[in-house]
Amino acid sequence: MEAADLLQVLDRKQPRRLRVIENLLRGRRTVSTLYWGQRYHLLPLLDANKHLDHGALTAPAQQLAASGLVTLDSEADQLLLTPTGQQRQAGAYYQPQTSADWLNLDLGAARQRLLLAVQVTSQYAHSTSRYYPLATDLVTRRVVRQWFHLEKGPQLAAALLTAMVQSLQQLPVQTAEVMTDLLTGYQHPGLTVSQVASEQQQTAWEIQLRQRDGITQIARDARQADHPLHGLLHPLWRSPVTRSAQATLYAVEQGGSLEQVAAQRHVKANTVKEHLLEAAILSPVATFPYDRLLPQRVRADFAAALNADIDSWQFAQLPEDLRTRYDFFYFRLYAIWRGRGMMDDGATHS
Amino acid sequence: MMEPLTASLQRVFGFDTFRTGQEAALTALEQGQDTLAVLPTGAGKTLIYQLYGYRHPGCVLVISPLLSLMNDQVDRMRVTGFRRSAAINSLTSYVERQEILRHLRDYQFLFLSPEMLAQPQMLAQVQQLQLSLLVVDEAHCIVQWGPDFRPEYLLLGAIRTKLRQPLTLMLTATAGKTTRHEIAKQLRTTPEIVSESVNRPNIFLDVENVADEPEKQARLRSLVSQLQQPGVVYFSSKQQATDTALWLHQETGVRAAAYHAGLDSEDRFKIQQQFMAGQLDVICATSAFGMGIDKNNVRYVIHYHLPADLESYAQEIGRAGRDGKPSVAILLYAPGDEQLPLALGQANRPDEETIQRYYAHPQQFSGDDAVIQLLAFYRQHGISQAAVTQMFMRRERERNRALAQMMAYARETHCLRERWLAAFDEQSPEHTVACCSPGNTPLDLDAVGLMRQQSPTGEVKSEREDWVTRLRRLF
Repeated sequence: MEAADLLQVLDRKQPRRLRVIENLLRGRRTVSTLYWGQRYHLLPLLDANKHLDHGALTAPAQQLAASGLVTLDSEADQLLLTPTGQQRQAGAYYQPQTSADWLNLDLGAARQRLLLAVQVTSQYAHSTSRYYPLATDLVTRRVVRQWFHLEKGPQLAAALLTAMVQSLQQLPVQTAEVMTDLLTGYQHPGLTVSQVASEQQQTAWEIQLRQRDGITQIARDARQADHPLHGLLHPLWRSPVTRSAQATLYAVEQGGSLEQVAAQRHVKANTVKEHLLEAAILSPVATFPYDRLLPQRVRADFAAALNADIDSWQFAQLPEDLRTRYDFFYFRLYAIWRGRGMMDDGATHS
Repeated sequence: MMEPLTASLQRVFGFDTFRTGQEAALTALEQGQDTLAVLPTGAGKTLIYQLYGYRHPGCVLVISPLLSLMNDQVDRMRVTGFRRSAAINSLTSYVERQEILRHLRDYQFLFLSPEMLAQPQMLAQVQQLQLSLLVVDEAHCIVQWGPDFRPEYLLLGAIRTKLRQPLTLMLTATAGKTTRHEIAKQLRTTPEIVSESVNRPNIFLDVENVADEPEKQARLRSLVSQLQQPGVVYFSSKQQATDTALWLHQETGVRAAAYHAGLDSEDRFKIQQQFMAGQLDVICATSAFGMGIDKNNVRYVIHYHLPADLESYAQEIGRAGRDGKPSVAILLYAPGDEQLPLALGQANRPDEETIQRYYAHPQQFSGDDAVIQLLAFYRQHGISQAAVTQMFMRRERERNRALAQMMAYARETHCLRERWLAAFDEQSPEHTVACCSPGNTPLDLDAVGLMRQQSPTGEVKSEREDWVTRLRRLF
């Protein structure tokens, strides 16, 4: 991620922490990272750059500060856009079209499967069987092999071409160009992300955002049962909530106190709470049992003590009696609930 | 009665004759002789163990040094029809490793890193296998890397004993007498040595003296824009390889890309394939590039930084001219260039005081430091402080000797080939103008026949087709 990319995930009013952004990109799923990721509206980027080095955003941040585009706090962690920074942010930069779905798709696996499936089909269409397959993990290789044995036939290449053209036509032309350049196939090794970036005069990160759009659009269309990639991509749609957090949530929904659920699931009480917070952040508001875990009276207690600026809330600054009555879990859950547009009267607010 | 080697060769690969060295190595192995094959890059060393594995039941275990290339090796095995091949190293995911271990007995070729094989659980599993052959690929790494970089290499002798001394094939492209001796000693064997001359008569050798870094860059640019393509430029730094690829493209229009161990596997795959397909003119590489690149028509190899020894240098220039046509190996030398390999050599070497302090209070040191990890390795394997101190001293002497040899090549004024081959205990053919041009003689590209004729490919840029057309062409 370069300075120009970092600029895009910052805000003029809300100071944003570099550490949170880094952890989010690296896929560190702590409650704190997820919570702040949601506050920053950056959750779609969860896990978007697994191999980002620790501290890799420091240099871009300092570059932005040196150019007067952001201000940095004394610990060089909180960034805030300056008016010039805000102007610059509004300049030409790719705006992803499909990010609403990113959390619900295993994009990494989808990418590997799509690239290998295209390569295999392309070589097959040209009747070549001796070629170097893209290096992917074992699961991808096995799944694509099974898919290919089921699907191969005289129609496969044409069907895949039609399907991909249809998907990519729904995206900006440049995104379709980028997606095509990155593919590997017969007599076409494909370009690397940095080669495409220099050709398109964009940053590598923008190219990756475009690729995410391309893959997501194809995976969306592959939900149709007659899509040639259905068997390969459909299983990769999933809830972003981890399996263990889902199990905890399910146990809570079946009744029983948090302590009982902890005993039943053989985890610590604190883990149950972390699971629930994760589920609250990552599931649609309507599906989470707020009414049970955060009853009306609890909301009223917090509402009486807290102002409208959610980001300024600090547990340590709550009145003493409130802190003895409710632990951090309820405080955080209330913040999530409010942060997702719920008002104390139960109405939504955007 | 087994079928003759040539019959197997014909059956498996469709070739009628062996390349030099292959048959001698196979014959020695067939007679049950451990074999050290010193064959130049491109001689087809892989074929030796492929064919042996084909002719004998059991598993061929290949110890391979470069993690990032091991998967490429397995892919290449599969492409040539040896489908029952697998690799395990530290980059292999847990799931994948478990999967391979479950089917360990089914593999005909198994590639392991020395680190992986040194793990007791892994070794126990491998001990259960019926090994037809143990292969130590890039065996010179035992000497070059063992003591101060990948100490697990030094365990290979003990491991081989634990595997009940299986028939062993050691492969390398370059090894002088000292290195050969050291390889044999480490692996506790007295192998039959099959060696071919390292000389590559079709590679013209050139050393060019430049005053400083800017002059070196200017010379590189001028060479790259004049020389016949494709070519490889070697660097000691990933960053400089990356920056120079970009710079060369901007300055000269050549299609250039960087290749180093820091790239992810997809990028490595794409760059390699682009280069093979003739879509790149220049690769700016680190030493990670090359082992296993099958490209015959590389016309030049330029070294921007001084290699640490002549063996590495020989290995890297060996990538030029595998098709037997005229090619050139150019070493750019600026005063003080020897400082870089010197510093890189020092980086991983603990001084005497550190060794002493570590052995006195091992628990006081952090395990994050590579040097400390190295010392911990030796201590855990019961090697005494005195022995470790001595080993590093010997290692430093050896490094200095190797670097001095490299420097002597850079400073040679009469015949580079003679200097190079002498390091491998070989006689050089009589010096002629077609042999080399040392630092005091300017390089005449025309005379060598390597001047580029046509305009650079980058200049005529054809109209790009739209994405639908390009996508259609794929299918």
